[in-house]
Amino acid sequence: MNTTQNIPDWLGVAASALLVLIAIGVSIRARLGLTRELLIAAVRAFVQLVAVGTVLTILFARAGLLGALAWVAGMVVIAGLVAAGRAKALPKARSTGWIAVGTGTTTTLGVLLLLGVIEPTPSVVVPVGGMVVGGAMTAAILSMRRLTETAREQRLDIEARLALGLTAEQAMAPHMRRAVTVALLPAIDSTKVVGLIALPGAMTGLILAGVEPIVAVRYQIVVMYMLLAAASVSAIVASHLSRRALFDEADRLYRVPEV
Amino acid sequence: MDPAEAFTFEDVVLERGGQRILDGVSDHIHWAQTTAIVGASGAGKSTFLRLLNRFEDPTEGTILLDGRALDTYDVHALRRRVGLVAQRPTMLTETIGQELRVAKPELTDDQASALLDRVALPGVRLDAATSTLSGGEQQRVALARTLALDPQILLLDEPTSALDDRSARAVDDIIESLVAEGLTVVLVTHDVDRVLDLAHSVLVLHQGRLVERGGPGDVRYLA
Repeated sequence: MNTTQNIPDWLGVAASALLVLIAIGVSIRARLGLTRELLIAAVRAFVQLVAVGTVLTILFARAGLLGALAWVAGMVVIAGLVAAGRAKALPKARSTGWIAVGTGTTTTLGVLLLLGVIEPTPSVVVPVGGMVVGGAMTAAILSMRRLTETAREQRLDIEARLALGLTAEQAMAPHMRRAVTVALLPAIDSTKVVGLIALPGAMTGLILAGVEPIVAVRYQIVVMYMLLAAASVSAIVASHLSRRALFDEADRLYRVPEV
Repeated sequence: MDPAEAFTFEDVVLERGGQRILDGVSDHIHWAQTTAIVGASGAGKSTFLRLLNRFEDPTEGTILLDGRALDTYDVHALRRRVGLVAQRPTMLTETIGQELRVAKPELTDDQASALLDRVALPGVRLDAATSTLSGGEQQRVALARTLALDPQILLLDEPTSALDDRSARAVDDIIESLVAEGLTVVLVTHDVDRVLDLAHSVLVLHQGRLVERGGPGDVRYLA
């Protein structure tokens, strides 16, 4: 099957720019003042996607599995930085973000590759890796933020437990459970309703590329399961590392500033 | 070192954010007495208390417990031995029974009821919800929760400041009976009458410095 048969050529892309003009027309007519924003957004999308497409085309043709894994590692580095930026008040936020996203990604991709569920080729490892890193990052951010807020808002509760001789691990146990639950709920919810509310990205892409829906769902099922695993591992690791970063060696809770 | 000394302070300095919270404090706290720490707000009273269960560590100087440096004890064992009751009680669980077992899950119902008797809450049901208790009752449950660990020393940070007179008096009576049983109490308070009633000795802090110490009848700050 020719998998590019349903994909627009560059002429089609140029024609679709008419849709941006429609949006600009609406903006002008309704005096929204968004013309400039719309133009910038449309041009940025074009430039960014062409750039990524070019890099990935070269990567898929030349890099091999090692190159693909290096690309995924680069995504982990960026995702860790993003996670740290969202939990600025947490001590050691960067290393927590990197280790959590890295562990979630390595475990999930490792299982998929070792069991032969996905092909060990760049054109598979890079996009699948991207989804895994994204899922792991979201879960890491949610648990890091939740525990940082807990340390700030529940200080009296935590110190009351520490004053009773409990370890930091024991004092944080109820909060840890809540943080991991909060971090996993988005992945669990989207797994529950997948296909009912909207067709998910991987499946949509395959169907648009001409793959039969019943075949495309096989990929989507794998994607949902791998996102659950990536989020779970990342959330657990992030919450444990966050907890450790929030206490000193004498099990004292650091003062967490408002950011 | 005098064996009557529970805590010994040697030139204790505590700095936070470039500011001296405690400045060269040297003194001691005796066993089986109530020692009151008094002074204006911001004098460093609560920080002083938090040094004793290692919620803070001195920047300089040493604190000894029983003649041994505080930081050489296992910190969790130390906090069981030196119990801290905060100004505002925080209930950590849903029922009184669970509350008393937070740090001592093996506590029997009989032991739990005996603890409630000790804090003047006789006949209170262990399955009663902590959320239905008044502030004074919550403070007494918080005290019982600490007593469940059989501490040798109790640190009380303004334990009655949020309570009405009657509840405050009940807590004072409990403190007196605990000291009579042999417990050592270190009490932070701003209430002069309470100090005169309860304390055996008084330490007066002013801007992080120890400016006076003595019996409650001798200290000029209370006059």
